[in-house]
Amino acid sequence: MTTQDSKAAVQKPQKPFWELVKVQGKLALREPTSLVFGVALPVFLLVIFGLIPAFNKPLAGTNLTVFQIYIPILMVTALIMIGLIGLPIPIVRDREIGYLRRVSTTPVSPTKLLAAQVTINLILAVVAFVIVGAGSVLIFGVKVTLEIPGFVLSIALATTAMFSLGLLIAALAGTQGAANGMAMGLLYPLLFFAGVYVPMQILPGYLQTISYYTPVGAAVKALTSTIQGNFPSPIPLAVMAAYSAFFSYIAVRYFKWE
Amino acid sequence: MSNPENSSVKTTNPSTANMPMSRKNIVNVNHLRKVYGSTVAVDDVSFSIAEGEVFGIIGPNGAGKTTTVECISGLRVPDSGSATIYGLSPKNDREEVRKCVGVQLQESALPPRIKVWEALDLFASFYSNPLDSRELLETLGIANKRNSTFKKLSGGQKQRLSIALALIGNPKIAILDELTTGLDPEARRETWGLIERIRDRGVTVILVTHYMDEAERLCDRVALINRGRLIALDTPAAMAAREGGEVHMQFVPSGTVDDKVLSALPGVTSVEHRGSRVVVAGSGDLTTIVLYALLNMGVQASDVQVKSGNLEDAFVRLTKTDDSPKKSEVSKQ
Repeated sequence: MTTQDSKAAVQKPQKPFWELVKVQGKLALREPTSLVFGVALPVFLLVIFGLIPAFNKPLAGTNLTVFQIYIPILMVTALIMIGLIGLPIPIVRDREIGYLRRVSTTPVSPTKLLAAQVTINLILAVVAFVIVGAGSVLIFGVKVTLEIPGFVLSIALATTAMFSLGLLIAALAGTQGAANGMAMGLLYPLLFFAGVYVPMQILPGYLQTISYYTPVGAAVKALTSTIQGNFPSPIPLAVMAAYSAFFSYIAVRYFKWE
Repeated sequence: MSNPENSSVKTTNPSTANMPMSRKNIVNVNHLRKVYGSTVAVDDVSFSIAEGEVFGIIGPNGAGKTTTVECISGLRVPDSGSATIYGLSPKNDREEVRKCVGVQLQESALPPRIKVWEALDLFASFYSNPLDSRELLETLGIANKRNSTFKKLSGGQKQRLSIALALIGNPKIAILDELTTGLDPEARRETWGLIERIRDRGVTVILVTHYMDEAERLCDRVALINRGRLIALDTPAAMAAREGGEVHMQFVPSGTVDDKVLSALPGVTSVEHRGSRVVVAGSGDLTTIVLYALLNMGVQASDVQVKSGNLEDAFVRLTKTDDSPKKSEVSKQ
């Protein structure tokens, strides 16, 4: 063992968590579900919407242009994709193939692996927000008066709510197939209530009310206030906080390591 | 090695379970019991493993072998009894135990697109004094696969990587569960060589297997677990000699053989004719005695084959006799 031991002494001790983040990050780039759906899709929509001249006209009944209305919607779209697909699917896969169990035989807790997965997706979400936000303003010349503290709070709560939903899927889905099924089942309703297909402002009142009490509708509502220079009303913030707490509770309660 | 004759440890008594090496015990399993729902997976199993030993755990499928080692590695918490490593409990001293135990799990994969070197460096970062990953890959013969992704590896290469991950933390104890299952014969033999090298480096190895040839070749001692209970614990040679059953000798005689003469020979229990062959079963120095008798009869024996009881025979016999009384017990209830 002596040769091995002397070699071992040369190696620098590394921080397991950041090594996990590094590896999970590389894996996320090699299996680019998060990247494609979470970042590329909102950016693609941003470019399309920016090129449609009619989107620069105010939407009837509001003082915002269609394009302005879509900025928060695209940010929430990124969160929906990451929350439903990018975050939970690799976790479920890692559990299904016994990787979480494998990690739990080492001195490092598998919780760190989950934390690394969350970190990677958080980075991707922030990248999506920055591209959508900066792209709208710098490339497409959209004018916004941003209420910064309100925006930060709203986007943080929206992220927490959608990431908790992702962890909830990871907790409840036993297999990758089940996780995909749950994600697909939730994807279209959430995109609809976020207003991706049609902004809520032009839909009947009762649909607006329903949307208001979904995590995505509340997120869009809160974010929309902040780009008009207002601090969001407490209701959408409370709705997002409540969903976050509820999803997290279920996720923690039912999560299984194997 | 102590004298196998002294080891009357067919049943589970830890105090009489002889240690083939006079080294200290580093793994102690005491009255271990684990229940899943209404199934008793492990029932009152006790044994100790000495430092530097290759300790085999054999038994039929579903006998509780994996559950036993999972309790040792801390993946499962026993319902009663204990498994300790250097006196530490895997549950209460989670980190300390995991630092000195490397585990290779049955049916555990890595993310499909992780590269071999990434997996090794990642796992190395989990330990304070890891081995050099390049050197380890050299030793395991997969250095040329450093840049391959996990999904591109063959079954044997995946197993080697799995062993590498079990060893990267420079463990004192390696638990290897069914590590040659699914490998082709050549890869199995290479893996055996590997385990011998691991042992030569001073690592204590706990080997779970259902291949008797593997246990016979590698293990200093084997524990036979059947339906959750430890039913035999000994060196493979002693277990085979004691429980392997009779010696079978067969040959093609050049002329007529008088069965009565053969049957009357000391140690012979049966004489049978199978086509042109004669099969003599018995114990002791059967071959010499039979050949001498044939010589006296003026008969030459050709194509002589002798098969003595091996670990597999012992395994079959021990599990069978263990199963039969239990079944009647169950039917009585």
